[in-house]
Amino acid sequence: MIRAKRGVHRLKATMLSDRDLAVTDAFGLRNQAIHSGPIGEDAAEALPVPATLLLDKKGTVLWMDVAENYQRRQGPEVVLAALRAHLD
Amino acid sequence: MDEQKAVMKNAASSKTLGTALAFAALALLIATVIFWFNLANKVSIPANRTLFVFAFLLAPVLGVASFVMKARWFGSIAAVAAIIGGVFLTATIAISRQQVADNPITVGDTVPYFTAVDDQGDQFVSDMLYGTPTVIKFFRAHW
Repeated sequence: MIRAKRGVHRLKATMLSDRDLAVTDAFGLRNQAIHSGPIGEDAAEALPVPATLLLDKKGTVLWMDVAENYQRRQGPEVVLAALRAHLD
Repeated sequence: MDEQKAVMKNAASSKTLGTALAFAALALLIATVIFWFNLANKVSIPANRTLFVFAFLLAPVLGVASFVMKARWFGSIAAVAAIIGGVFLTATIAISRQQVADNPITVGDTVPYFTAVDDQGDQFVSDMLYGTPTVIKFFRAHW
């Protein structure tokens, strides 16, 4: 499904699957509040909180944004501003 | 006899006002929802959504008021739509807050080791992040 849509969206980023939220949990970004994620044995029981992290080349977090509610998250301009502020 | 007529006339005008109120409630709800999704498309719904809650709740209040005034049947349909829509949208705001674990990653931390499968089916190891600055985004893949 993701593969099929790649051409449509002209994505160049690497898309990683985190169906069991193992990576999300490693980062501590699983949403603990009410969520509308899929429920079922083979589906994830919860969702990540929408989050964006900027890492330097050593893998240290330079900047991050965690959405405080799912109806609001930062647009690309905020991420671009962070890139300019931290990498220039 | 005249008195009875006057009472009936009053009842009729109350019905008309109630019906108008029901449609006003529905119009308010629809206008607010259109504005909401306009902002949502720009990912700029304000952090403080008190005014939205006010508008979303005013619609059901007007809807109930129109029932009290015994709106005509077609007004009742608009009133019910306004009540259900307003309560539902307020509820989505009420439960929209996200809560992360006690110790999420923060600025200054190093990313934990992880592996994941990419969209080509290949294994991705977090060590591959080293050497170049990276942006990582967490989001749900489907609604």
